Amino acid sequence: MSVTLFKNKENSPLTFVKAIFERKKWLLLFIVASLVTFYAVFMIYGLNKNLEVLIAWAPFVFKGFLLNLSMSFFSMIIATILGLLLGLALISKTRAITLPSRAVMNIFRNSPWLVVLFITMYLFPFEVHIFGERYAIPGWWKATIAFSLPVMANLGEIFRGAVLSIPKSQWESADSLGFNHLQTMRYIIIPQCVKRALPSWMNWYALLTLATPMASILGVQESVSNTRAAVESAGAGPDLLFPFYLFLLALFFIYIYPIALLTRAIERNYSFKNQ
Amino acid sequence: MNIRSLENKRFVNLACKLSIFTAAIAVGHEAVASSKLDQIQEEGVIRVGVLDDFKPFSFRDTSGNMQGISVELAKDVANTLGVEFEPVVVTSANRMQFLDQGRIDLIIAGMSDRPERREKVGIIEPSYGASGPTLMAKEGVIETWEDISGKPVCGKQGAFYNSLIEREFGTTVVAFTGNAEAKAALRAGRCIAWLYDDAGIINTLVSEDWQGYEMPVDPKYVNPWAMAVLKDELESSYGTLVTGLAYRWHASGKIQELAKEWDLQATSWIDQMHDKMKQDTSYLEY
Amino acid sequence: MFDIIAPLFLEIHKTTGLNFVTFYDPYEYGRFISGAGKSLQLMLYTLCLSLIIGVLGAQAQTSKSKMLRGGVEIYVQAFRNTPVMIQLLFFYFAIGGIGPVIDAGGYYEPLIPAFGWAVIAIGLFGGAYNVEIFRSGIEAVPASTTQAAKSLGMNKWQVFSRITLPLAFRVSFPSLGTNLISLAKTTSFAYVIAVPEVTYMLNQIWADNVNVPEMIFLLFLFYFTVITALSIFLNWLESRITIPGVGK
Repeated sequence: MSVTLFKNKENSPLTFVKAIFERKKWLLLFIVASLVTFYAVFMIYGLNKNLEVLIAWAPFVFKGFLLNLSMSFFSMIIATILGLLLGLALISKTRAITLPSRAVMNIFRNSPWLVVLFITMYLFPFEVHIFGERYAIPGWWKATIAFSLPVMANLGEIFRGAVLSIPKSQWESADSLGFNHLQTMRYIIIPQCVKRALPSWMNWYALLTLATPMASILGVQESVSNTRAAVESAGAGPDLLFPFYLFLLALFFIYIYPIALLTRAIERNYSFKNQ
Repeated sequence: MNIRSLENKRFVNLACKLSIFTAAIAVGHEAVASSKLDQIQEEGVIRVGVLDDFKPFSFRDTSGNMQGISVELAKDVANTLGVEFEPVVVTSANRMQFLDQGRIDLIIAGMSDRPERREKVGIIEPSYGASGPTLMAKEGVIETWEDISGKPVCGKQGAFYNSLIEREFGTTVVAFTGNAEAKAALRAGRCIAWLYDDAGIINTLVSEDWQGYEMPVDPKYVNPWAMAVLKDELESSYGTLVTGLAYRWHASGKIQELAKEWDLQATSWIDQMHDKMKQDTSYLEY
Repeated sequence: MFDIIAPLFLEIHKTTGLNFVTFYDPYEYGRFISGAGKSLQLMLYTLCLSLIIGVLGAQAQTSKSKMLRGGVEIYVQAFRNTPVMIQLLFFYFAIGGIGPVIDAGGYYEPLIPAFGWAVIAIGLFGGAYNVEIFRSGIEAVPASTTQAAKSLGMNKWQVFSRITLPLAFRVSFPSLGTNLISLAKTTSFAYVIAVPEVTYMLNQIWADNVNVPEMIFLLFLFYFTVITALSIFLNWLESRITIPGVGK
């Protein structure tokens, strides 16, 4: 089962990158211009002391950012697996399966991420005893699971929608060709679902990554907590939070914006091919 | 094979996995036979809950490592036990929870000794530090505690004195997750003063960034801080060992030394404790 | 209301140990109710602000001026691709520190309180998504319709407000509803800048009373009820205004 995203040369990754530079030239120009302006402002007003502090602590904050990214990777994997299961449960014909699944989906779609995080961090055990061995679950693992739950609920809905959007004719022709149910799913339905669901899936990955900073509220040592600790250790001087938060925003933007662009490109590519 | 049986198979599969997982967790809540001391030494590491924004007791250096007076004390516990020291950053809001859940073995996080806490965790006597809640404000703004009535004060989430001060003076405590935010809010004028331990305030005022600010009132009271272990462990070999260390730190003057080394400004309580705990060995000269 | 339920919850606490202190202690009850009220207010204001920004932004994106279109695009990309929690912190601490101050009796207070910054930051965040949603809605309005309106002598603003916007609104309503629900959930982040909404209040309460599970359950119940109610309302609204044959 292979999924080709960019069949046409016009949409290959290289031309895609070139296209960004052409179309979004003004955006890049703006970013460069604002960086230069900020630097100039810092120098003129003698705030270069803050800049030095930021540079000294930047690696430490970046280490926290890597934890944000790790949480997002693992969380997305868990959410995808659980979401697939949930999606399948939602399209089941048995009410005994669909009703609880819909309940689970609604619970996680109608609760704020922060509340789910609180529940997971405070109310669930941190240690498991399997076959006599104690395994400690670090805080960020629990946070990872907590983040995956709302995403799982949404992915379940997306997968269900994707499967249901496959025209009935596909099922019928597969049936007439002698495919059984499992084979139809594996060779016909799921490959098409993947393409349909991919933009939404990538969008949810971006949303998940953007949600990971809230783990700092519960004591996970990621980028925002590290920023807090750094500012405090550096003496909590005036206007220190400004460059630090800007730095954090920039880190996330540099990571997420390309993903957003890629998502849109895939979306466009897919919709062109299907018109 | 129709969709029904495939669905059911997957669901049963998942249910089996979930029940194994749940059973494992249930088993995990049974009491463990070996003593805590043995456990720690077997694992080779002691996990100590510390704050990460409480200069000079526990705070970070640029490589991200923990440093400070509390950290040195925690390392001493680890060395005595012959194990590695692992700092686990906690907040006032979650340190007792972490201890309960077993994520840490010991709390050294500036936790004030209070009756409600004595009910939940095992407080180690003697305490290793003390402070009291007081205010930091711009010079000239506050003269007495009553000046905060009806005005907001910035504070830290989870500090036990927040609601006490609120009720006594009719003020609102605007609580932030960390000290950095609370101080930034004070500077921006979001509140009339910063409510925090005098130890933390004095050590903030040392920095030149905070010239023009002062600590205008005395602490409301002086409340010693305690280390804490699980309530059941207080009388065990582990709890007794930590208690012994706590006593020795005062009697030998170790805490005084650390205070000097880390430039702690308020030391009168520490000096008093040293005088109290140190044994008068003048009889040895007879 | 409080007097009726207080004895019940006191009983529950005595017999089962479940500590729903918010329902038998008047001080904590007051805190919980004020927090809940603040949350609802926050949701209302941010939803409204994000709608207004969405409409204005979408309109700005159809304008001739390249600067205006570029500006809106930058705003949308900046707010969609950065975490909302950090945006909140940035607005409150970094920008909130600069700006006009008023005399609060002994010290100088910034003009905009934490609640205000929460509304601004979360409203801007939601607005960025709404701009995209409204834009695709506006694009879905057939050019023939707008041309017909123009040929009838309506000026640009009349065409927009009477023809394009209502139609766009109805077309994009499903996505809009999803985004509004998401925005209502996002208001819980106001906790980090100490807005006394329900998450913050219940956190204070459980810090003081050490009844974490009960209060977290109450927090979950509050949001779940409010969001489900909002969701039902939006679904009902959608069924009333959907144009048959368009969209799903």
